[in-house]
Amino acid sequence: MRHPERYDVIVVGGGHAGTEAALAAARAGARTLLLTQSVETLGAMSCNPAIGGIGKSHLVREIDALGGSMAIAADRAAIQLRVLNASKGPAVRATRAQADRQLYRRAIRAILENQPGLAIFQQEVADLVVEGGRVVGAVTATGIEFRASAVVLTVGTFLGGRIHVGLENYSGGRMGDPASNRLAARLRELKLRVGRLKTGTPPRIDGRTLDWSVMTPQPSDEPLPVLSYLGRPSDHPRQVPCHVTHTNERTHELIRAGCDRSPMYTGIIEGTGPRYCPSIEDKVVRFADRVSHQVFVEPEGLDTHEIYPNGISTSLPFDVQLEFVRSIRGFERAHVTRPGYAIEYDFFDPRDLEYTLETRALRGLYFAGQINGTTGYEEAAAQGLVAGLNAARAALGLAPWWPKRSEAYVGVLLDDLITRGAPEPYRMFTSRAEYRLSLREDNADARLTPIGRELGLVDDERWRLFEAKRAAVDAELARLAGLLVRPDDVAAEDAACVLGGPLARETRALELLRRPDVAYDALVALPAVGAPAWEGVPVAEGAPFVDHADFLAAAPAARTAFAAGALDDRVAAQARLQVEVGAKYAGYLARQEAEIAKLARHETTTLPDDLDYALVRGLSTEVRQRLVEVRPRTLGQASRIPGLTPAAISLLLVHLKRRGAA
Amino acid sequence: MSTGAPDTIVAVATPPGRGGVGIVRVSGARATDVCTALLGDVPPARRAVLRAFRDAQGRAIDRGLALYFPAPNSYTGEDVLELHGHGGPVVMDLLVQRVLECGARLARPGEFSERAYLNDRLDLAQAEAVADLIDATSAAAARAALRSLDGEFSSRVNALADRLVELRTYVEAAIDFPDEEIDFLADGAIRARVADALAGCEAIAASAEQGRLLREGYVIVIAGRPNAGKSSLLNALAGHDAAIVTDVPGTTRDVLRERIAIDGLPLTVLDTAGLREVADVVEAEGIRRARREIERADRVLYVVDASDADAVAAAAREAEALPGGVPVTLVYSKCDLPGAEGAATDATDATDAAAEAVRVSTRTAHGLDDLRAHLKAAAGFVPGEGGEFSARRRHLDALARARGHLGAALERLETSAGAELAAEELRLAHAALGEITGEVTSDDLLGRIFASFCIGK
Repeated sequence: MRHPERYDVIVVGGGHAGTEAALAAARAGARTLLLTQSVETLGAMSCNPAIGGIGKSHLVREIDALGGSMAIAADRAAIQLRVLNASKGPAVRATRAQADRQLYRRAIRAILENQPGLAIFQQEVADLVVEGGRVVGAVTATGIEFRASAVVLTVGTFLGGRIHVGLENYSGGRMGDPASNRLAARLRELKLRVGRLKTGTPPRIDGRTLDWSVMTPQPSDEPLPVLSYLGRPSDHPRQVPCHVTHTNERTHELIRAGCDRSPMYTGIIEGTGPRYCPSIEDKVVRFADRVSHQVFVEPEGLDTHEIYPNGISTSLPFDVQLEFVRSIRGFERAHVTRPGYAIEYDFFDPRDLEYTLETRALRGLYFAGQINGTTGYEEAAAQGLVAGLNAARAALGLAPWWPKRSEAYVGVLLDDLITRGAPEPYRMFTSRAEYRLSLREDNADARLTPIGRELGLVDDERWRLFEAKRAAVDAELARLAGLLVRPDDVAAEDAACVLGGPLARETRALELLRRPDVAYDALVALPAVGAPAWEGVPVAEGAPFVDHADFLAAAPAARTAFAAGALDDRVAAQARLQVEVGAKYAGYLARQEAEIAKLARHETTTLPDDLDYALVRGLSTEVRQRLVEVRPRTLGQASRIPGLTPAAISLLLVHLKRRGAA
Repeated sequence: MSTGAPDTIVAVATPPGRGGVGIVRVSGARATDVCTALLGDVPPARRAVLRAFRDAQGRAIDRGLALYFPAPNSYTGEDVLELHGHGGPVVMDLLVQRVLECGARLARPGEFSERAYLNDRLDLAQAEAVADLIDATSAAAARAALRSLDGEFSSRVNALADRLVELRTYVEAAIDFPDEEIDFLADGAIRARVADALAGCEAIAASAEQGRLLREGYVIVIAGRPNAGKSSLLNALAGHDAAIVTDVPGTTRDVLRERIAIDGLPLTVLDTAGLREVADVVEAEGIRRARREIERADRVLYVVDASDADAVAAAAREAEALPGGVPVTLVYSKCDLPGAEGAATDATDATDAAAEAVRVSTRTAHGLDDLRAHLKAAAGFVPGEGGEFSARRRHLDALARARGHLGAALERLETSAGAELAAEELRLAHAALGEITGEVTSDDLLGRIFASFCIGK
């Protein structure tokens, strides 16, 4: 039957990509339908129960800044939180939350079910409806046909999924859930480039059978961090520690002995696995000199005993799994509740996608998440948001939007995928971002919330908080830039401990803050500098406060913008951080901005779809072949294809010019 | 300046070489800044003015004519400044360096023409010509870059780049994998390695500045049997008596080195001792040196006495026996002498495939123009579009930038909170070196990390 309701966007799949896709589409104004195999598994974490980490938390903040749900749900589910790289600089600091699976799922489901303009329907999708060269709907396994202008596929590892435990293997999308084989067959007909990837999970263990006393506890950081700009530490449930233990030589012996029955080493698994997330057998074989590997013992939730031993993902036969698990310190009497397994699945070469994640082969069809060769909840969610937003905008006749590499990790992710493809499962790292110093957790909102507001993704509350923070930061930066601090104004003791020595001459407060060792909180505690602008001290825009006495005299007159205590507690903390980071990085940020401006022309020079590279004079055969493989959308993208020389870019420019004029 | 306006570029626009007038051309939005910095003001449009060209301290580098062409009425369609100075390579180099300090970058091969085309200053019909020019000059510049990267320089730069890859592998691993018990930033080892790399970079830059790099152009070795006419050929090319010429075989015992320019193509011509079996120790040493020079040359002119039938018959075989890999041109000398005509013609036919051949007479100057044209073509020389000279300047410029970033990285490592800033400086240093050695992508770096450390939960 054909369902009587007509939608603008259908999102297939209710994982992390599907969730953000459905929410973004609905928020962008599209009538949206979310089709899922099971409403019970909306927001399920198939792998380790954690959100964030290096590079990934940057994505989470960006999704949050664009009105997404991942950070909010993670804050509500976070049972252990840490700031990684806390001893390093702010650009590479990253928040990681251990999440209670149930709480996370519940939070996501609540957000989805309360989203206006979004309908949810439970049924496996078996086929797409294609008319006139575009997708116009989807058909479920029982034959119900839904119509829409665009379909976003976020089917994760469910396409042609095959699960391996030892030499045994069977079809499946996740342990306990069926694979989507009919849909996989249908998609194979589209002549998209298809590849096969592999990922794995460790055996799960009953925590009551572990000896916690011999493991090192890893408690949450204090003060408790948050992931969402809207989050407060009070959003978090009760905190429990993770623990760390280690494998040993006995463990490694058992694993080596079992490798003859490993699907990896007997050639049964063909898919490429991630090098940064190897199975334990891979670690033992490839790094044979290591006598021990870390195992992070992570709780799955507050009301379950099950734990996730992060670091020992495996597809060895169950008897080997059990034996090597029990050889680990503290695991001697472990009861395995679910065996570890590897899963192989189809993915489509993301070089066949647009920046909007629409497939080039079939208009109206969008792909997001693992189907594009990525791993990770955060990477999936980021793509979901982009695909859902753009599917909605296309359905509503609006121009597409996506962030550039210089604007967001989401932009780095998109550009890497469509330029380089996914030779192994793609995961975000900060080293992938050439503008790493500009793309930070603390300023994701400044980078993306204004555009998110324009796109309809940002609600009133978030926008109010954002504007308050922006005003506070601007005011404080203006204050510090204008404020002159004189040597006489600072007591010798203060100078030694806050500024690292006496002031040689009068200096602007902002200059002092730029010094690597001067902390913002200590600086504003100096009487000569005074409290932040938002704490009731004057904000006279653009006024150069050349003299501290004048500055204080002017105070009462301008004491209106930020009455003491009026600023939201969340905003004040974020504003302090951003003022400090902005000052510390100033020189580097200016350099990156100059570089971005320099490259902007190439980024906006589009290469037509029908460009015949054979006609571009002077290109070498190799360069020509790479261009044909990627078919870059812009000159900037072309310049990032490995092997493309500046001369080749010049030749393309000259060709475009001639073509344009002809 | 509009957002995304192209960089300001600079290059020596005249063929490099000694003597005569040399022109440094600057194009882009910063041309006026360059005027102010070097000349003290912006000269009136399209009028030649006599000015001192000053360095950052206000000292005159050179004195000459300055011409300022405001956009769009200039060769490239952008603001263009031309500095006409005294064409020696050192002065030209100092001027280019000074303009680089003002925020310009070195022009890529063919880039002035490319901009002229993109800004509608060239006829549409010239698109193909521009494409061919970019193609040809990049190829020529690549060859020039290879040449200027003589063995030692090249291996030292590559070794430095390898050290940087390793350093960055450690630093990036520490940043991206803080849970992996591999925090190299915590101890002082990284700082010592950065200091090491910086010292290495400084040493290379210092030796490159003084060394062979800037001094020599396309290197030609004149070789051949004793008394074949090698020294006469050098004198004819150089236009004066650089070598002692006598009729006694073995007159040239050492290697003579002469710098000449053919229509601006700088050539270093080496006249070598005749190759023959000798008893004389001094002459034997001369022959050994000759062979070593041949191995390092860009081209060998193998001189054959066209009047000597035996020599003509053996020429092809002897040319093949020269140290391998160096292109050879057979030069039949003494073509004015009786008996030379026929023999040389036959020989030319016979040896065409193996080596190129030119017939000359230094006495009548016959064939010398052909030889000059042949050398220019062989060097891949296109006047004014940046050849060897700018290839060297480019390398020095890249080294200087790498040095600056390494120094900054070292400073940043003084505080642990500066780890990502040190990483940024190392990335920039690496990118600068990559202009010489080839780019290393973040994917390559991640590959190194995964291969070196057991990463992953």
